[in-house]
Amino acid sequence: MTVKVLIVEDNPVARSFLCRVVRESFSDSIGITEAGDLETARRQIGIAGGSSGMHGVDPFKLIMVDLELPDGNGMDLLSELAHYPATKIVTTLYSDDDHLFPALQRGADGYLLKEDRFEVLVEELQKIVRGQPPLSPAIARRLLTHFRQGGDSERNVAHGGFTRMGGFVTSKPVPLVDKPLDHERLTPRESEVLTYLSKGFTIKEIANLMGIKWFTVNDHIKSIYKKLNVSSRAEAAVLASKQGLV
Amino acid sequence: MSALPPTADFQVTAPADAPPGALDLGERRDRRFLHGSTQTARWIGWRLRVLVLAALTGCLLLLILVRALAEVPALPLELQGNQAGILSLTDSSGSPRAVRSLIDAQGVQTPIDSLLLQRSARWLPGDAERTGHAAQHDALARALAQGTLQLQLDEGQVVSIPARRHGVAGLGPMFWLGSLLALLLYGVTMVVLLVRPVARNGLYAVMALSQVGNLVFVAIESLPLLGWPVGFMQWDHALRCVFDLATAAALVHATGIHPRRLPGSAARAALAWAAAGMLGGLVLAAQVSHVWWWVQGVTLGCGALAVLQLGWVQRLQPHPLASVLWRFCALMVGTLLLLTVSVAALGEETARGGQAVMLGAAVWLVFVASMLLLLPFLSRTQQLMREFSLLAGLSAVATSLDLLFVTAFSLGNFASLTLALFIALGCYAGMRQWLLNQLTARERVTTERMFEHLYRITRKVQSKPQTLSDQLSRLLRQMFEPLELRLLPRRSSHARVVGDGASLLVPVPLVTPGATPKVILLGFAQRGARMFTPDDARLADRVVDLLSRAVAFDQAVERGRSEERVRIAQDLHDDIGARLLTLMYQAPTREMEEYLRHTLKDLKTLTRGLAAANHRLSHAVAEWKTDLTQRLAAADCDIGWDFTWDTDLELGIVQWSALTRVLRELVSNTIAHAQARRVQIDGVLEAGVLSLTVADNGCGRNPQDWAHGLGLGGVRKRVKQLGGHVQWSEVRLRGIVCRVVVPCKAESAEE
Repeated sequence: MTVKVLIVEDNPVARSFLCRVVRESFSDSIGITEAGDLETARRQIGIAGGSSGMHGVDPFKLIMVDLELPDGNGMDLLSELAHYPATKIVTTLYSDDDHLFPALQRGADGYLLKEDRFEVLVEELQKIVRGQPPLSPAIARRLLTHFRQGGDSERNVAHGGFTRMGGFVTSKPVPLVDKPLDHERLTPRESEVLTYLSKGFTIKEIANLMGIKWFTVNDHIKSIYKKLNVSSRAEAAVLASKQGLV
Repeated sequence: MSALPPTADFQVTAPADAPPGALDLGERRDRRFLHGSTQTARWIGWRLRVLVLAALTGCLLLLILVRALAEVPALPLELQGNQAGILSLTDSSGSPRAVRSLIDAQGVQTPIDSLLLQRSARWLPGDAERTGHAAQHDALARALAQGTLQLQLDEGQVVSIPARRHGVAGLGPMFWLGSLLALLLYGVTMVVLLVRPVARNGLYAVMALSQVGNLVFVAIESLPLLGWPVGFMQWDHALRCVFDLATAAALVHATGIHPRRLPGSAARAALAWAAAGMLGGLVLAAQVSHVWWWVQGVTLGCGALAVLQLGWVQRLQPHPLASVLWRFCALMVGTLLLLTVSVAALGEETARGGQAVMLGAAVWLVFVASMLLLLPFLSRTQQLMREFSLLAGLSAVATSLDLLFVTAFSLGNFASLTLALFIALGCYAGMRQWLLNQLTARERVTTERMFEHLYRITRKVQSKPQTLSDQLSRLLRQMFEPLELRLLPRRSSHARVVGDGASLLVPVPLVTPGATPKVILLGFAQRGARMFTPDDARLADRVVDLLSRAVAFDQAVERGRSEERVRIAQDLHDDIGARLLTLMYQAPTREMEEYLRHTLKDLKTLTRGLAAANHRLSHAVAEWKTDLTQRLAAADCDIGWDFTWDTDLELGIVQWSALTRVLRELVSNTIAHAQARRVQIDGVLEAGVLSLTVADNGCGRNPQDWAHGLGLGGVRKRVKQLGGHVQWSEVRLRGIVCRVVVPCKAESAEE
């Protein structure tokens, strides 16, 4: 069975380059669909079974999205594909966290920098598909701040709730916010991994420093990704329910 | 106490225990300003009604007085007096005829002389003259009351003259001016008294109302025609003496407790009141001889005591109000002394010696009344007060000189007056500036120096907006030399004078939107020698305005700059980046591809440097490490990494991008030429010096012989740009080590 791949990229040269990377990366037979803009991409996804991917018989397994497209930003497509069961990868020239972090928050499973060498890209792509996404120090820093702030705000709310409760008795139940949900918190190990990553240590070095196996570090990273993804999806859900959309 | 909020949480008035007493208008205004208008309604309530009532009463009394005076019969003649004291009348042919006596309807003959021309006995030093003066006026009044009177001229000729009422139109401009000034002073006194009915303001009211009385009498005396009710002159003399004595005693009392309470002030006040009261009683009962000497003595003594007390306050602690009051008080007492000495020197002559004395006395009186009138608004009327005091001084000098010329040189009235005025004006012109300086103790910074301060501080604020409040404080300190300067967390839209000139509040402009508003409180300008005026507040406002505009301008420029940088970065990245990428994909050779990749990376570093703000060293190090590790790993080369720093400083854009590119270039060289198996990169930041070493174990040798192509030239150029140096040397067994040393200081530590 062929694996369906969607490549959304406006530059034809870059597109064919990425096709080569994809073909090189996997031994399965690959069916590549190319899209030069968002509209084509949306149409292709619609043919392949809608943005939820549930009705289609044969959804895309891998979607590569460029951020800068002629008719919009790849981020929008990522948001629309939040529940699409494919591995979503951002291919971009922007390597700074300002561009990449929002993409990861919108459910991207990893990112590839287009100016990297062919072999590097192949290797990175394989890693992402295997569940070993890259994490640059800048993005690790952003992740740390993201989760720390989330935790902080939760704690503040909880504190406020207690002081309110302390003064007088009320029949209202204590709000549930004093215990942060699991997907909004990092385990100490995950925080440690992120801290090391933000200081520029490689996974191998981190494994040595923490005295754990290489793939354990990788599991932590995967978990962090998932939490970021889930937490941002949860945020979106909360927002949606608040606005009466769900 | 008053209906003002008892918990005034904002007391700006000075360390001195007492806030300005008679000068509470300003304070009240400020309290109302600070407390909002909720208290205003309560304050206005009954006081406003009382004030309106008092004003109406004043006007009514004036109206009654005018009506009564208009009905009083007057002598419709203009009599002149000469040096010998003989009255004369100009007949129809224009030649003067001496007048010897007046004869009333009953035929009683009363000799008259030029004493009759004196409108008041207050400044007649001799008891006999005063009695004569009163007798002549009473005789005139009685004769006028009977309808007609006869004047006996020399050579026995008698002329009969019908009396005429003054009439409302005949009261003369001086009467109206005098009574209006009296009414004004009365109104201000009532306002001051009602604003805060406390002891200090009561004393002010005593002084002011006494002078109101004096003014009313002077106004009545100034009628153009002769003719007052019977007994008026006795009352005029007695009451004017009493008024002066009351003013003097109240002055001693007031200066003893304000601006600060002095030790033993109660005893001195009691003494003054006792002396004034006793003398006043005796004067009223006409039980004392040498009245004029006694009254002048007590008045001058009290005045001197008041001046001493104010001087004492100054000695204890410089207080701007005390110093201003001291000067004006001294001037007042000084001119009174001069006047008294002149009259005393003239002695008997005064009675017949023309109008100069009366004029001088009236001017002095108007001067005192004006001072009292302006006192409640001291901080805004200083300029006016100064001019007034100069005018008073000038008049006193002119009068004294006039008297001196008349007596000592026997000059004619006109000649002496002209000469005296001439000399007085000469003195005034010559000494005005000096006098003004003395009066105000104003050694303001010159305009030139002030501009210099302002310019320097504006520049400083522009370069460091966060220091604005410090710089503003420094500037204000230089401008006003205050005794104290404090920063208070308070909101104010503009600078204003509080505590009647004791303090100035200047708002600090907000540099950042979220900052807490603050005001700078300046206390006691010129080390306590000067009061703040509304002019100072306006000047401070202008300065604040200028500084905040400088900051705003600077912020706008910075914002514009950064927006422009971001835009350029974006354009470069999007356009040139995309094209380079396409070129790279289509590169015919591997070398070309690498070269383009390198260029692309440099472009990215460049654009990131343009767009981003500063980079923290620890963050930059982490990124360098990741980047170089990845690249060396791709080239199958091990990396050793060791980076330490004593301070995690912020790298500027130039520093960051230069160091990033130097490191990348060095590693690229190693990968491309050295065929090394391992690269060791060490970095140390210590005491503001960053040293980097990149050592490989490759095949490079003899770095002196290397061709300095683009790569190495670039490294040299960038290191030089940072003010450091770079050096390549051989490692002992195998490889090359490159050592880069650059100064690396935090940007904020530049000063």
